Amino acid sequence: MPPRQPVTFSVVWPACIQCGACVAVCLQRETFISPFDTIAVDTPCRIACMYCADVCPTSAITHQVVAGAPEGGGQP
Amino acid sequence: MDSHYDVVVVGAGPAGAATARFAAQAGLRVLLLDKKGELGTPVQCSGAVSANALAECGVPVSAEFVVEPVYGFKVYASGGQALPIDYRDKGLTEPLGYVVDRKRFDRFLTRLAIAAGAELWLKSRAVGLERAGGWAILAVERFGQRQQVTARVVVGADGVMSQVGLMAGLRSPVPPRDLASCLQYIVEGVETSGLLEVVVGRAHAPGGYAWIFPKGPGMAEVGLGVTRDLGHDARWHLERFMSESFMRARFARARIVEVQGGGVPLAAAHKHMAADNLILVGDAARQVNPITGGGIHTALRSGRMAGQFLGQALPAAPAASRATLKGYHDLWHAELGHALAELYQMKTAIFAEADPDRQDAALYQTLSSYFLPDSRFKRV
Repeated sequence: MPPRQPVTFSVVWPACIQCGACVAVCLQRETFISPFDTIAVDTPCRIACMYCADVCPTSAITHQVVAGAPEGGGQP
Repeated sequence: MDSHYDVVVVGAGPAGAATARFAAQAGLRVLLLDKKGELGTPVQCSGAVSANALAECGVPVSAEFVVEPVYGFKVYASGGQALPIDYRDKGLTEPLGYVVDRKRFDRFLTRLAIAAGAELWLKSRAVGLERAGGWAILAVERFGQRQQVTARVVVGADGVMSQVGLMAGLRSPVPPRDLASCLQYIVEGVETSGLLEVVVGRAHAPGGYAWIFPKGPGMAEVGLGVTRDLGHDARWHLERFMSESFMRARFARARIVEVQGGGVPLAAAHKHMAADNLILVGDAARQVNPITGGGIHTALRSGRMAGQFLGQALPAAPAASRATLKGYHDLWHAELGHALAELYQMKTAIFAEADPDRQDAALYQTLSSYFLPDSRFKRV
C-alpha cells in the first residue's frame, strides 16, 4: 500500500537515466519537476501515490515520510 | 530583440522540429526552443522509423543519422517460436525503414526547420505560460536568464512529461497501466541481420515486449518495456531476459556500451489537443502507436499536420482561439487519431486478458499480423 502521509522524494542520481517516466505519471496539477527532469525532490508531495517510484526503470526514486505532517487524503 | 512570433514551439524533438519546419515553410515567424544544449539527449528511444514515414514527411534519408537499414521483422512467441517477416524474401531491395541515431536525427530535423526559416534557441526552458490580449506570453529561462516571448500560438512538443500541457491545463497524467517503463542497452557482441526483432511474453516483459534491434556494425539494442509491475523494475526484467530467457545464449558475449531508457505512453491520445493560443503535438499529446510504442512516425506526421494547419489557419484567423485551433485537433483525428484509438482498444483488450497464456498468444498474434505486408495498419 502506498503511504498516505506526505512524502519527500529523493532520486539516486547515479541510477537515474532521465527517462521522464516519473514526471509522465505524476498526479500533481502544477509543475512538480526537478531541474534534471525528474519529479521534484525538495518539495513535499501530499498525494504520495508513489506512481513515480513504481514506474522508474532503475528504481532510482526513494522517499521519506514528512515527519509530523497531516495525512494528504489523496489531494495535491 | 523583437520577441513576438507567430508560433513558438517548445521542444525540438521530431514533433516540434516538424511543426516548426512546416509552419516556417508556410511563411510564419517561428521560434523553436529546447531546454537541452545537445538535441536528442539523453536518448529515450530505440530509434526505429519507417521509410514511409520519412518520405511522407519530406525527410531525406541521410547517412548523417541512419545507423542501420531495416528490411523486416521477427516476432518471437514467449517460448521462442519465431515468425520472420523478411521483406527481402518478397523481393524488396530498398530498406523498409531505419534505425536512426536519435541525437543526429533530431539535429538533422532541426536543421531542416532552420533552413525553412525557424529560429532556434537551445538551453531554453519554458517555465510559465499566460495569455493576454489574444497572445500567449511564454516565460523562458535561456541559459538561466528569464525572459518573455509572445506568440499567437505556443506548441507544446515537450514530450511525455509535457510541462507546457500542464501549464495550459491540457495535460493529464499518463495512467500507470498505460506507461511503458523502458530500458535498453546498446551492446556489442550480439549479431543481428537487418530485422527488428520483438519478443512477447509476460515472463519476459509484462505489459509490454522485449526487442533486439540492429544498431550499426557490431552493435545492437537490447531492451524492453514493462507496464506497472510493483515487484520489479525494467532493469530487473532486462537483466533476467538477457541471462535466463530462451535467448540467453545469444547474449552470452554481450558487452553493454550504453544505457538508455524512456517512458512511452501506450495511452489514448489527449481528448483535447488545442486551447486558446496553444496546441500539443507528439508525445506531449500522446500521439504514439499504443501497440508498438513507436512514436517517431506519429510525431513527424502530427508535426507536419500541425505546422501546415497553422500556416493556413493563422493568417486567416482573427484570433488563435481554441475554436480556431481545434481544426488541428479534428484534422489529426481524421488522419491518424481514429487508427490509433482502434489500436489502443486492441492493446487494452490484450492486456486485460487474465489468462497469461492467452494474453501472450493474443499479443503475438497481433504483433505478427501488424508487421505483415497486408496489415491495414501498415502506414500507422
